Amino acid sequence: MNKLNYSALLLICISLFFTSCSKDDDQGQEPVPTGQYANGILISNEGPFGSGSGTISFISYDFNTVEHNIYQNVNGSGIGNVVNAMGFSDTDAYIVANNSNLIRIANRYTFESKGSITSGLESPRHFVTANNDFGYVSNWGDPTDEEDDFIAVIDLNSQSVMATIPVTFGPERMVAHNNRVYVAHQGGYGHNHVISVIAGNELSNTITVGDAPQSMAIVGNNLFVLGTGKPSYTGDETAGTLTKIDLTTETVVERVDFEMSEHPENLTTDGTHLFYNLNGQVYKLAANSISDTPTPLFDGFFYRMEVRDNFLYATDAVDFASQGRLYVYDLTTNQKIEDLQMGIIPGGIYFNE
Amino acid sequence: MCRKKIIFILFYLIASAMFAQLDSIQQLNEVIITDSKLKDYSKGYKVDKLSKEESARSFSFTDLLRLNSSVYFKENGNGMVSSPSFRGTNASHTAVIWNGININSNFTGQTDFNVVSPVGYDDITIRSGGGGVQYGSGAIGGSIHMNNQFKFGEKNEKSRLHLAYASFQTPKIAADYSIQRETFFLHLNANFIQSENDYSYIGYDKKNEHGEFLRTGFSVNTAKKVGSNALIGLNSEVVYNDRNFSGSLNTIGKDGYEDYHTRNLFRFQKNYEKLRFTARAAHLFEQFKYFPNTESANYDQGLAHSFIANTEFEAYLNPEMKVQGKLEYTVIDAEGDNIGSHQRHTIAAVLLLNHNLNKKFTYGINLRQEFLNDFENPFLFAADARWSITENYQLRANLSRNYKIPTFNDLYWIAGGNLDLKPESSYQFEIGKNFRWGNFNLDIAGYLIKSKDMIKWVPINMSLWKPENLEQTENKGFEATLKYGKSLSQSVFLNLSSRYAYTDAKDLDKEKQLIYVPFHSWTNMISVTTTRFSGYLQYSYNGKVFTTTDNSSVVDGYNLLNLGIDYELSKMIKVGGMVKNIANTYYENVAYRPMPPRNFEFFITLNF
Repeated sequence: MNKLNYSALLLICISLFFTSCSKDDDQGQEPVPTGQYANGILISNEGPFGSGSGTISFISYDFNTVEHNIYQNVNGSGIGNVVNAMGFSDTDAYIVANNSNLIRIANRYTFESKGSITSGLESPRHFVTANNDFGYVSNWGDPTDEEDDFIAVIDLNSQSVMATIPVTFGPERMVAHNNRVYVAHQGGYGHNHVISVIAGNELSNTITVGDAPQSMAIVGNNLFVLGTGKPSYTGDETAGTLTKIDLTTETVVERVDFEMSEHPENLTTDGTHLFYNLNGQVYKLAANSISDTPTPLFDGFFYRMEVRDNFLYATDAVDFASQGRLYVYDLTTNQKIEDLQMGIIPGGIYFNE
Repeated sequence: MCRKKIIFILFYLIASAMFAQLDSIQQLNEVIITDSKLKDYSKGYKVDKLSKEESARSFSFTDLLRLNSSVYFKENGNGMVSSPSFRGTNASHTAVIWNGININSNFTGQTDFNVVSPVGYDDITIRSGGGGVQYGSGAIGGSIHMNNQFKFGEKNEKSRLHLAYASFQTPKIAADYSIQRETFFLHLNANFIQSENDYSYIGYDKKNEHGEFLRTGFSVNTAKKVGSNALIGLNSEVVYNDRNFSGSLNTIGKDGYEDYHTRNLFRFQKNYEKLRFTARAAHLFEQFKYFPNTESANYDQGLAHSFIANTEFEAYLNPEMKVQGKLEYTVIDAEGDNIGSHQRHTIAAVLLLNHNLNKKFTYGINLRQEFLNDFENPFLFAADARWSITENYQLRANLSRNYKIPTFNDLYWIAGGNLDLKPESSYQFEIGKNFRWGNFNLDIAGYLIKSKDMIKWVPINMSLWKPENLEQTENKGFEATLKYGKSLSQSVFLNLSSRYAYTDAKDLDKEKQLIYVPFHSWTNMISVTTTRFSGYLQYSYNGKVFTTTDNSSVVDGYNLLNLGIDYELSKMIKVGGMVKNIANTYYENVAYRPMPPRNFEFFITLNF
């Protein structure tokens, strides 16, 4: 016990010394994040639909610390109903509560509340920052109206919606690259097949992709878009697609079509490979040769998937009415190494470096 | 297949034999109840009839049953969607029976107890236990009956006007007119309730917004004797509901629901000395419009017509043995934005028998077989018995197989609807005792319900959910009702009633209590009545319920107190009022949906 305390103390001293040194030496570098929720995984849990609050869980990278409900623990109040997603600036977390129609802002490392955005949103879905000044929120508007969907531009300094950009229906996930934001229009209650490109307060381009673009990944200067395709019940089934877009020209440079009955989900990347979920299997594919036959890794039907440092993190919403799970797979052995209980419907996986 | 044929043949043999044999004339009773099965073929069941005073006071079926039965309601905010859980079963396992006909929705398989009105009926009865043979799909935990009566006799004409005003800008009106003759009866009822429903959430700087509701209904019940031994009758009603669905502690209410129902039941009844023949033709219509956003004009809608025709023979095989055979043909024609357009045809053959073995022992045997349905048609049976050991001590028992057929939503929902579904199947057993000593009456019941192939919607992938025959449940429970009545003086009466239920309802795969089923519920009432004055105090305790299937989250239990007084100014005029939630308790029935704080109601009733 004493020994441990001593070594812990030593570690802290060394770290303090080291950080202060490096700070002095490299003025321009980013500060090392501090706060109890730095250096770990954040899971956003949607919470029960219609009644209840979504929550955030924190898991340290060594899996030794797991804390649920961190926003409530720190701030004493809940986030809101159906926590659909989170987005981050360098300092803050932006937590989207879809059914409560608001965004909670908190310090991303301490989760101390820094305010809320409650106006200018309508059925908000996802959040992304393009830089440290602007954030973007995809909004469905009235879900039954396909004509009123928009992207809300958030001034991060004033914490308010500064502009809205009308877009085609069903905007969902977004990724940012070189101050531009790429919006996947999965299609809300219907199915769409468009990526909107946002620059500043303007819609600068639209790129046609396969039906129902569900997830995206950026590798180098390329954007990969995974379309799930239209399901068979629409009477107009289309196959899943993987589309590669060159971000300099914003044009499609390659497209791979899946079999008609194949509807892949949850594209993610480790920087060189792409990973996705299809028919209860996780597949891996080199990002620079997407027409190659993908490698099946292991079985699993997941709600969300993300990869970091050779680990694949996947969530399971179980029956959508009880606490979900987070599974961690080691990609060197393709074995499950952790199985952790999360909140209700764990729908977002984020890495708080 | 063979079994089906035998039942079919048996049914016709009995029915036609009786019809041929007997033709003499029997005087009609003064009061004709529209659903005699409830009385004559439920001897081994717990059947509780609510007093007219109790049902006349309430415009909310949910509140009425909450205080006068052990049925638990999951009410999604005051006045919003209210689903019953009868002995721990799910919302589609309580059958709602209007004048003998099952009126559960063809789309959801259940009845929202905030869209049916308890006003305008002559009796409301709660029948505990399986009633699949008599009442069809969904009568698993029990059934709730709304019945009208036809009354003949001395020339009589009555009108009643009930006007009430309650907190949160809630006017309520009920008007009745009835006319009675030797051979003719007519009863008209109109009722209306509207509420802003904008109460404050105790302890929050928030109001219940977007929770306005309106309901209006109109009914006609009329009958005429034809000759001295026949009767034609009509029960007819129209109900319209328009509701906004309220927000909650952390959501904003945006959606709304409009529904419209018409129910028409025409009957012809002819009595012979030992035989009664009844033919019925009914039309039920249900229509709903769901507005995801009440600010916009977009909605999803569905409508269904049910045409029901049946013939029924009831005969005394001997003075102590009665049988009833019924053959019923039903056509349901449903269409909806989410299901397309579909028809279902069903033939049901039902055979009921009641035999008083001796003065102390009576038993019944009930059988039902359906035909034509696209899915497996289960054979249903029920057996019940009542044994009066002494004048003050009765034993009863019943055993039944019940079912719930897949709804149109389960079968045809776009997307996910599953045509391979089979009906949910359930077995139940109950044993009960009734003791009387002095002014006390104690009824206790223990039951076991085992259900399998329960339909559950499960995710197939990210965007598609599909119903499957997956879940198995086991409900075990205990109910006790204690009643006490005493005359304190010649004109002062004291009544006490206390009802306790313990419900253990488990998902057998998860080994967890089902969500929104309390282990404990306890309702109590004490009332004092004098010639002109009556006052009552109600106390209820609802135990905690789980809100997640792994029992990781709960809604806390709560205690509620209500107080009411009535005063008769004259034979014609009665005034009264009540205070609900006297202690101003904060409580939620569904998580994050606070229920009303202390609230008031005043009324005046005119009889002339």
